[in-house]
Amino acid sequence: MVVFAQEGREDAYRELIKRYERPVFSLIYRMVRDKETAEDLAQETFIKVLNNIDRYRPEFKFSSWLFKIANNITIDHLRRRQVDTISIEGSPDAITAERARATAVTVTSGGESPLEELESRELGAEIEKAIAKLRPEYRVCIILRHVEDYSYDEIAEIVKLPLGTVKTYIHRARQELRQYLGDLR
Amino acid sequence: MIEHDFDEDFVPIAAELQRLPYLSPSRDFADRVIAGIGRLQSAPAVAPIKASRHLELQQGGQQAVVQRRPVGVVGATGRAVAGVTLIAAAAFMFFEIDVLTAMLSAAATQYAFTIAAVGTQIGALVLGSSTIAYLQAGALQAVVLYITLVVGLFGGYAAIRTAAQIAKRKAA
Repeated sequence: MVVFAQEGREDAYRELIKRYERPVFSLIYRMVRDKETAEDLAQETFIKVLNNIDRYRPEFKFSSWLFKIANNITIDHLRRRQVDTISIEGSPDAITAERARATAVTVTSGGESPLEELESRELGAEIEKAIAKLRPEYRVCIILRHVEDYSYDEIAEIVKLPLGTVKTYIHRARQELRQYLGDLR
Repeated sequence: MIEHDFDEDFVPIAAELQRLPYLSPSRDFADRVIAGIGRLQSAPAVAPIKASRHLELQQGGQQAVVQRRPVGVVGATGRAVAGVTLIAAAAFMFFEIDVLTAMLSAAATQYAFTIAAVGTQIGALVLGSSTIAYLQAGALQAVVLYITLVVGLFGGYAAIRTAAQIAKRKAA
């Protein structure tokens, strides 16, 4: 598929977008906690990746390269905006309740009873809140490790940090999550 | 599933992290991305129209060649016979040509034309009827001239022989 995209075929581009839009958007959203901003950054990520797809080296996983660019773009955005306080209910920049609803993402789950769905939703919301409290560097590492199932080496490659630093970040992120989610255990 | 490299008390949190759902961007996300890509391949080039063998590079290559009707063997032979007959009649009228010599000359001329006609048909099979038709139409005057020269050659030869025989008889 990447080879076809390197030939400039639109159908290959669309297939790559379809395959990776949700993981990339999810990662970015969990970093910035704003739907519109996440879409803009995800869009910027895909445009950058697909415009430079000739530079992709097949010895690496395409998804790793994609996440690497998504992470760079998101970190740059966070540094510019200094958005550290976040909310699952919507954008931290939301002034009105309507704006907050508009910027919030609806998290759906399937095949559960209403009670289970509510509990799952509450649990998921607690996890989301806990992740949101982490430093952006910890956040991306813990998401890539526990949500995307990447190895430490792959995460180090994606976030462009030494392996030891990545391990430290993930260890500290787990400690902080334990503290925030003490009631879950 | 990743290998556990954390304490047991983190297991439920790790399980919850893995259960976090993927979130979807808006439906027109892909269209917006595609609109921002500058290196999209243009629409595939229209394949060049394969030239028909019935088309020639004339008036934009779109005018059909008018197929010329090939000349038949019988027609060519008839024309040759008529031509030789006329030449023989003229020879008898203007020169006192020996009948046998005249007949031989006419026969040779007739065979030559027959061979030429047969050759034309064989050429049509090998080179194609359109090519022969083109040659026939384009070089009609040259062919007529060639026929005239051949007829003249045989006619001249017959005249010389006749004159020689007449001279011999007078001398005798």
